[in-house]
Amino acid sequence: MIQPALIRKQRIILLILMFLIAFTGIIGLGMGSAALSYDRLLPTILGQGTFKEEFVLFSIRLPRMIITLLAGMALALSGSILQGITRNDLAEPGIIGINSGAGVAITVFFLYFPIEVGSFVYVLPLVAFLGALVTALLIYLFSYKRKSGLQPVNLVLTGIGFSFAFSGAMIVLISSAERQKVDFIAKWLAGNIWGTDWPFIWAILPWLVVLIPFTLYKANRLNLLSLSEPVAIGVGVSLEKERLTLMLTAIALAASAVSVTGEIAFIGLLAPHIAKALVGPRHQLSIPIALLLGGFLLLLADTIGRNAVDPEGIPAGIMVALIGAPYFIYLLMKK
Amino acid sequence: MTRLYTESLNIGYGERHIVKNLSVKIPDKKITTIIGPNGCGKSTLLKAITRIISQQSGTVVLDGKDISKVNTKLLAKKMAILPQTPESASGLTVGELVSYGRFPYQSGFGRLTKKDYEVIEWALDVTGTADFKFHPVDALSGGQRQRVWIAMALAQETDIIFLDEPTTYLDMAHQLEVLELLQKLNKEQERTIIMVLHDLNQAARFADYIIALKDGEVVKAGTCEEVITRDVLRKVFQIDAEIGRDPRTNKPMCITYNLIKGDYKHEKTAVPVYSAVSVNY
Repeated sequence: MIQPALIRKQRIILLILMFLIAFTGIIGLGMGSAALSYDRLLPTILGQGTFKEEFVLFSIRLPRMIITLLAGMALALSGSILQGITRNDLAEPGIIGINSGAGVAITVFFLYFPIEVGSFVYVLPLVAFLGALVTALLIYLFSYKRKSGLQPVNLVLTGIGFSFAFSGAMIVLISSAERQKVDFIAKWLAGNIWGTDWPFIWAILPWLVVLIPFTLYKANRLNLLSLSEPVAIGVGVSLEKERLTLMLTAIALAASAVSVTGEIAFIGLLAPHIAKALVGPRHQLSIPIALLLGGFLLLLADTIGRNAVDPEGIPAGIMVALIGAPYFIYLLMKK
Repeated sequence: MTRLYTESLNIGYGERHIVKNLSVKIPDKKITTIIGPNGCGKSTLLKAITRIISQQSGTVVLDGKDISKVNTKLLAKKMAILPQTPESASGLTVGELVSYGRFPYQSGFGRLTKKDYEVIEWALDVTGTADFKFHPVDALSGGQRQRVWIAMALAQETDIIFLDEPTTYLDMAHQLEVLELLQKLNKEQERTIIMVLHDLNQAARFADYIIALKDGEVVKAGTCEEVITRDVLRKVFQIDAEIGRDPRTNKPMCITYNLIKGDYKHEKTAVPVYSAVSVNY
């Protein structure tokens, strides 16, 4: 029952976003501290580059970009789901404790567990993922009432409470730690894309491959849930079951993203919100836009961030916040 | 035989009992109206019968089965509900909102079939909202919007339709318009209609069967001649009513009334209703 004109509009927006992603991608591939000029880009992709060129392209820049794109998509999808089930435009993965939970887990693990250098980078995402998962489940348990089930309001309030508590815990932990270790944690918290190798792509990709179609499959239910609870029940949506499965989906997506990118706020808020502003509260249309927009925004933020300041760059999380904060203020002013 | 009835239903929130040991039968293919003072539990009862809230004990039986054990999508093919002042469907068009009523019949990704489109068109026609099909719901007046929500409930193709105060916030003409639409649906298509109404005279005029509630208990249930009486109204609303006949419809009507001195107490104490708990912020 969606008007053809609106569907056309959505297709055009999707095309524009794909173009922007490709454009940013190509620009990004040729930028960086190591030399790989644009005219060498194509030969290197075709396998005619030098060893150094191939290394820069295939082992450093390309995986980083793919990771960024995927993480942005995962965060955007997670945000879309959360905004739908909580009926709150300000909901984003942070409110279900994903960021703070992963942060505490990383901090504790990093400070107190001796690890071998070799396996370190591969254990860390796992730790972050578990931390995020445990926190989200705790928040879920605390906001679940036997009588009224899971009320979105309770979820948001409990989530904010947990976030504050965990941020506090993290400060306590960090304040007694060595300088060097603090630096790493601080960078993680700022959302520095650090899982920049192919294995991390294989860690995040399966979630998206499964959960994007799954969420689109649930688009109708999300439409109803975001409309009104009694109406949703009235037409036969089984509220508790749908909320739980969608919550878990959002948790898995955000946790998988956070585990390789560190704390990235705003993408999960921004992308779904802009998508809905463009095509209205129709999840079957807004989710694809949110996905591409989330990927694009994070890719853009990281591309700018890693080239802005030598030698380390600005963490993508901070770049995103620079873009996101004004939009957030605009949102609040509009309300 | 009645398809729908409740058996010693108790509904409450924590220690507060709102509906007590309530057993009512809803007559088939009739218009049933639930009346009662504020906070008497009439909306709560409606919500429990339509599984929007769960009861503490007792059962709601539809077609011989406890509805709490029936698949919710299956139930949605048997009964539709129009909640009290549904949230505005901001951003949706009328046609889209009505199409949501087809949810119980959809599978997979929810593409609408030819049959779905036919039913949606029919629901729009019957409620006189076909002209607004592509208009945003926000842009409609209160009366039009209410008819759109009714169209959505109709698109569910259910024999039973519940409405919680369908005339609230409407002016007199639009109130009558909505009620006449419901009467037409009942007469022409034999749909069972159950609604909560505030206006006694509207209840008397349109209902075949009236259930008068007070403090979560049935004071009187029956035809309007049996319920709209001086005695019942005194018990239910603590009013001294003057009952006459509507000169046009010949139904009983409350012509004027006074409060019964000393007996009246504010019923509108804070009763947490479901909508307040799930406040959308």
